[in-house]
Amino acid sequence: MHNPVVVARQTLAGISNGMLLFLISAGLSLIFGVLRILNFAHGALFMLGALIAVSLAAVLPAAAGSFVVVLAGAAAGAALLGTVIETGLLRRIYRAPHEMQLLLTFALVLMLGDAAKLIWGRDEQSVAMPALLTGSAHALGVSFPLYRLFLIAAGAAVAVGLWLVLHRSRWGIFIRAATMDRDMLSALGVNTRTLFTSVFALGAALAGLGGALAAPIVAVGPGLHVQVLIDAFAVVVIGGLGSVSGAFLASLLVGLVNAFGVLAFPGLAVVLTFLCMAIVLIVRPRGLLGTVE
Amino acid sequence: MNHAAPLAAGLALVALPLVLPDFWMFIGVEVLAFALYAVSFNLLLGYGGMLSFGHAAFFGAGGYAAALVAAQRSLPLPLMLVLVPAAAMLTAGAAAVLIGLFSVRRAGIYFAMLTFAFQMLLYTIALKATSLTGGDDGLTGLKLPGAIGRPVGYYYFALALTAAGLYVLHRLVHSPFGATLRALRANALRVQYLGVDVRAHRLAAFVASGAFSGLAGALFALSSGNVFPGWLNWTASATPVVMAVLGGTATFFGPALGAAVYVVLEVVISGHTEYWPLTMGVVITILVLLAPGGLTGLWKTGFGRARASRAVPLSTGEAR
Repeated sequence: MHNPVVVARQTLAGISNGMLLFLISAGLSLIFGVLRILNFAHGALFMLGALIAVSLAAVLPAAAGSFVVVLAGAAAGAALLGTVIETGLLRRIYRAPHEMQLLLTFALVLMLGDAAKLIWGRDEQSVAMPALLTGSAHALGVSFPLYRLFLIAAGAAVAVGLWLVLHRSRWGIFIRAATMDRDMLSALGVNTRTLFTSVFALGAALAGLGGALAAPIVAVGPGLHVQVLIDAFAVVVIGGLGSVSGAFLASLLVGLVNAFGVLAFPGLAVVLTFLCMAIVLIVRPRGLLGTVE
Repeated sequence: MNHAAPLAAGLALVALPLVLPDFWMFIGVEVLAFALYAVSFNLLLGYGGMLSFGHAAFFGAGGYAAALVAAQRSLPLPLMLVLVPAAAMLTAGAAAVLIGLFSVRRAGIYFAMLTFAFQMLLYTIALKATSLTGGDDGLTGLKLPGAIGRPVGYYYFALALTAAGLYVLHRLVHSPFGATLRALRANALRVQYLGVDVRAHRLAAFVASGAFSGLAGALFALSSGNVFPGWLNWTASATPVVMAVLGGTATFFGPALGAAVYVVLEVVISGHTEYWPLTMGVVITILVLLAPGGLTGLWKTGFGRARASRAVPLSTGEAR
């Protein structure tokens, strides 16, 4: 614990895991903020991204450019499915009681989980890392896997891109306005129907991208989506529902708590995540940066 | 309240072991346990307008408590028969007090998320407290000793406790407390203006619901013979919601009907295909989109149309 090499390594590991958490929780948070739907199927969209990555990586040649195609394909595939889900199902229940909304996204979890088993089988699969990103970087006596550094860079790039979209584009301004008062936004003449669809597709794309980025370092198999959703849920609750910056902060926090929790209390790191969540819920129920309520 | 239907159903349940083989006793206990679970859950949703998405925590806590008591082989049988339900209800009830204290302060979707979050905390504890819970492997080989541990004997044990549980819940729902609870669902703010302690009522309902869910978990654990941490996982918390909505949340016995249909469907469908979740997903989707009133709602609207009368209005999303 007091060894600076260990501290540096765990910090980097925590941040890189945090970046993956951010990709999935940013979408979950945005979707709740705008659509007011808690999307249990978000973990399934993440898993779908990973599985698309598995299939694409199997058919594409092992070149550096292929990995970019794999990432784009996973994000696009998840966005497409997200669009179908929003227009085909979710749109019908925005005014239904909460239990109906929860049940519908839970039904999606069941259907997508089994559909994934039907299409990709029950075995755990993995994606080979692009050759360019295998190996380790060395600095100041610490060696660190290149792919993890790439994850940090990719996560940071998405975070900056998302911030620019939300704060500098017309679409982003509408999205932020919708998290504050969607009825007012609608009254001002904004087409909230297409806005909802696009937000769900954006969230799905982020989850799919996260899944594809995680595919080389996790075992992609049945049940992945159940675990991923809980982590993302914890992040969203800690960060504050509807807040992308909150999701970013909480992702880093949870990533780091897990990375150091493993050292301090081996085997109990998962408990720490939920303990963090419980404390935040009790002390500051709307989350670190939450505004929605 | 028409007492004929529940009475007839009760008599049929008592006679069931005379006509069905042992295998169906296990299914029978499962139906009873989940009926009690779904009705306890609906005390919150249907009457109090509180959507808990963490009820698996109480079902699982009751299961573990019962398992730990049943493992004490040296206990005399009569004492064990008292201790199993008592320990399950106390453990689940205590968990409900702790979770409820923090959760009932909020309403609507935020209440659902708080219960979800605390359930995940209990889930990870069940997963990691290996010395007590057996960790990932769970606790297995659970059974009551003697004749009461055999399928028919246990069925009657479960039937008696389920009937007692449903009776208490029914009395609760039709007491002044139940009336206040329904008023809270309709307009919490107005009830508060009348001087009622809203939080205390919500907490009491939450604890009662949790305790009886724990009893249901105990009944199921000693029938299936095992209890796993997965019982407390978030995916398990959807089960009582599905059962209650499937049966219809607007009536007392609707969720029990939903539980029976769900359990029998699961037995039949998983006998034919390993894709039971996919089938259930499709069933839930159809339910939510086409029949949000559930089975009792369908029956009432069909019936009501024939008699040109109005169906019982279902709970709406307001005042949550």
